Amino acid sequence: MEQTFDLPDSTDWLGTPLSLLTPLESALRCQVCKDFFDNPVITSCCHTFCSLCIRRCLSTEGKCPACRSSDQELKLRRNWAVQELVEAFQNARPSVLDLAKRAATEDREDAEVGTAQPASKKRKVDERDGSNSEVSEGRQTRSRTKGVERQTEPATMDVVEDSQDEEYVPEDGLVACPICNRRMKNEAVFQHLDNCTGDPVPPKKISFGSLQPMSPASRTLNKAPERLPTINYSLLKDNVLRKKLKDLGIPNWGPRPLLQRRHTEWMNLWNANCDSKTPKSKRELLHELGVWERTQGGSAHPSAESAGSVMRKDFDATAWSTTHESDFKQLIANARKRSDALVRTTIPSAAPAQSQESPTVEQPVEATIPTNMQKPEQPLVDLTSAAYPKIQHAQEPGESEEPYTLPG
Amino acid sequence: MSTVAQKRLFHEYKNLSTNPPDGITAGPITEDDMFHWEALIEGPQGTPFEGGVFAAELKFPKDYPLSPPTMKFVGGGVWHPNVYPNGTVCISILHPPGDDPNHYEHASERWSPIQSVEKILISVMSMLAEPNDESPANVEAAKMWRERRSDYERKVRDEVRKGLGL
Repeated sequence: MEQTFDLPDSTDWLGTPLSLLTPLESALRCQVCKDFFDNPVITSCCHTFCSLCIRRCLSTEGKCPACRSSDQELKLRRNWAVQELVEAFQNARPSVLDLAKRAATEDREDAEVGTAQPASKKRKVDERDGSNSEVSEGRQTRSRTKGVERQTEPATMDVVEDSQDEEYVPEDGLVACPICNRRMKNEAVFQHLDNCTGDPVPPKKISFGSLQPMSPASRTLNKAPERLPTINYSLLKDNVLRKKLKDLGIPNWGPRPLLQRRHTEWMNLWNANCDSKTPKSKRELLHELGVWERTQGGSAHPSAESAGSVMRKDFDATAWSTTHESDFKQLIANARKRSDALVRTTIPSAAPAQSQESPTVEQPVEATIPTNMQKPEQPLVDLTSAAYPKIQHAQEPGESEEPYTLPG
Repeated sequence: MSTVAQKRLFHEYKNLSTNPPDGITAGPITEDDMFHWEALIEGPQGTPFEGGVFAAELKFPKDYPLSPPTMKFVGGGVWHPNVYPNGTVCISILHPPGDDPNHYEHASERWSPIQSVEKILISVMSMLAEPNDESPANVEAAKMWRERRSDYERKVRDEVRKGLGL
């Protein structure tokens, strides 16, 4: 889960000379999932959402989340203009953000330095840039090497080439599959690798959206999958519904309400995929349904998944510690850095440097409490330890405890 | 494995920590569990809650943001018509539009996937300032607020002071 710490967000522009891009980026993000629009569609009340997001909303509530007017799935229409806007913006984002951040750093240095010699200023800037790129590169390298371990030999070259391309788009949140080069979310790569056929997907047009508008020819090439109709569940008997799920090729176990929810989710995944320029394979969709099953469906633990599995009696502690070793090390390193930073903040002059080094999101919650709210630090700590005492013990002793105890 | 809900919560967390609204702090208790947050709300100025800081826990469902979170003040001490004696907050933005247990809320004030933690906390802050006594969660507090306002305010101030350990 640690990879989410670097989630690109509209607030990335704050504090740079381009802070006015914050509302622009917000406007290019879906209000439901807060991510960039993915297959945007427009409702009959003229609000735009990701296809999957609005389908999920409509299937639970039947209303537009923005204005609450009733709407139907069938009335959703694709919004190509927004899609191209998003693609173009995502393409430009990393380099623009990089420029803006550099400018911000220089401005700050200019303001800060005042008395200091120019020489030291320059070195500072370099160091800072160096550490920034190190962070993002480190992240990529990790995912890249993991990918390499799993993949078959011949693709090695591709990976290297690909990673070089990627240096320009380190923050779009996507990485390329080392085998087929298809771009996808970081966390989707491993799952995808398990069933990647190795066929290089026709180079996605995504990055050139506005340059190569959808030609009718290219659209007819991918034969459009047929949409699934909505079912009036109350008209179907249990066994008919079960058979229906079986015919669709999705699991058909569990009590009736679960069958209905599973069918709805499948229909949403499927129909949203029909809105995509580059539809995913059924296998990928089944995988997404599997994720749903584990988090919200029949295999969901009532408590958080991570905590739940750790608490189980047959929990395999050694396997857990080996698979999560890098995470633990990362956490320990973070905690060390943080406690170092805390020590440094006691020296007033070092404070600004600290706030610059560690991204805001990694700071403990307490750090954001305004000074006039000092008191509640205590309840916060109490609550943490009260709510999580068992989990702390159940995890790897020593290693996993560090992140809790070190930052104080 | 990161689900829509986790990702969305992380976006909100990042947004709240880089650009926090006045008097509000919120975030997950541990980053291992994005579905369990703690929030701190300052008592609004010009009300008997002024000067107090109230800790609350927010619990998010797995299908967030389709369904709203629940919010509960922890540590007690919030004497308010719309807060149950156990600390659970009763406010329209936390109720899904489908059910209306209290029969007075407009659908437009209720939860929708485009609402956010930030909007909830801001609503709760203004709820502290302006109780809604139409369908109170704490009948005693509502009666006191309606009939003996000065007693109510004194009690709230006492609770605030107690909460601060004074």
